[in-house]
Amino acid sequence: MSLEARIADYVATQMPEASDIVVDRLSRISGGASRETYRFRLSWLEHGASKSRALILRRDPPASLIDTERRIEFEAYRAFYGSTVPVPEMLWLEESSAPLDYPFFIAAEIEGFQAAPALLWTDPYLPSHGKLAERKWTILGEIAKADPVALGLTSVMPNVAPGDCWSRELGYWEQVLDDDQTEPLPIIRAAIRWLRANPPPPPKTIALVHGDYRTGNFLFDTAGNIHGVLDWEMAHLGDPLEDLGWSLNPVWSFGRNLAGGLVSNALAVSVWERSSGLKADPGALHWWTLFNCVKGQAIWVSSAKAWIDGGNREPIMVYPPWALQNAQDRAVLKVMGRL
Amino acid sequence: MKPNVSDVLLELSGLVARNAAPDIPPADRAGALGLTAALLAMASRTWDDAAHQLVIENRALRKLLHLEGDESDFRISALTAENARLRANLIDCHIAAEARDPELEAAIWTELVVSTERRLTQGSPV
Repeated sequence: MSLEARIADYVATQMPEASDIVVDRLSRISGGASRETYRFRLSWLEHGASKSRALILRRDPPASLIDTERRIEFEAYRAFYGSTVPVPEMLWLEESSAPLDYPFFIAAEIEGFQAAPALLWTDPYLPSHGKLAERKWTILGEIAKADPVALGLTSVMPNVAPGDCWSRELGYWEQVLDDDQTEPLPIIRAAIRWLRANPPPPPKTIALVHGDYRTGNFLFDTAGNIHGVLDWEMAHLGDPLEDLGWSLNPVWSFGRNLAGGLVSNALAVSVWERSSGLKADPGALHWWTLFNCVKGQAIWVSSAKAWIDGGNREPIMVYPPWALQNAQDRAVLKVMGRL
Repeated sequence: MKPNVSDVLLELSGLVARNAAPDIPPADRAGALGLTAALLAMASRTWDDAAHQLVIENRALRKLLHLEGDESDFRISALTAENARLRANLIDCHIAAEARDPELEAAIWTELVVSTERRLTQGSPV
């Protein structure tokens, strides 16, 4: 049975009032190394009326560069739907492998906007950088100041004490490196030693951390507006500076020596501070930026390992380690003042 | 580069062959072949330089670490294995130098910076 027909069968179990359900225009969206992402159109009859909707399917792959719980991603999206943090509407989460071979969720598609960073360095997007940066770090500030308890996220995400944020994250990603590295990583190991010897102060509040907030993971238009923040699969509770540090990871400068390829680090931080109402202690932010270089390398190394082990032989698993592993080492050197 | 270039090229040859079949949906074919093209371009750019850079780096590391090494096998797989042995030694040496030898530590950092310049790829973001 085709994937279209299997999706239609599944949707029928979720929409008992619908009949004549049809799935068409199914196509895979390139990228998406952590989940397989498809767009499709759903059409159905409801009380005699013909309806249709553009939807997104996010399905676990056989092996991924990031091991995460799709329920956490689903609930993070759902928590922010309708808020000042724009996200797509979540519809159904399926944790069983029976309907489509692997767990998945289905969401509404936010149509008509772009996510590819390469477009931003061309007309007509070039004049939008200032506005886009303002929106980008304002939204990140909104995420930082959101109350995870009020959002209902503390029941689906492991809690963490403020003093344990840094050690939990560093320990997790160091273990990923220990498990998945296929060659020695002298620069990353030196960075980890420095991080352990110079821990940051605890955050004043525990926040929701998106975990992958960067240019490329939100939908933008030519005017510099952001219409959807995507890729919440690494969301967790922690230090709000963690997200800010990830957004300043030099690999996300796209060779432009600017935060996210858009504006100076100082401007990005000032927008975030104004929006979040928090102060980004420079020493702590430096720690979290370097930490995120280690985290990035762990992700690229895991991608290579998943390909080498044969769990996932998609070309997308090769591209990140080939394109970014050395750049991530250079990012470490830059953040440590060695480059 | 990991995964090894030769292993990736073999896998890509199979992927291209599969996508030559007429019944592959155009969107799937475009996604698979677009990334394949990007990877082939990256592989082509490293091809001529790979053995040369590994020999240069292995010699530099042996000199820095005062280690001996065998240079009878110049296949990339053999040079890569020797490079991994030397870089593992470099980590141990770096840890020791951080505690008691600032001059050696500085020399190691210099070598690490140069090692990333040897590995620079076209369009590298950093």
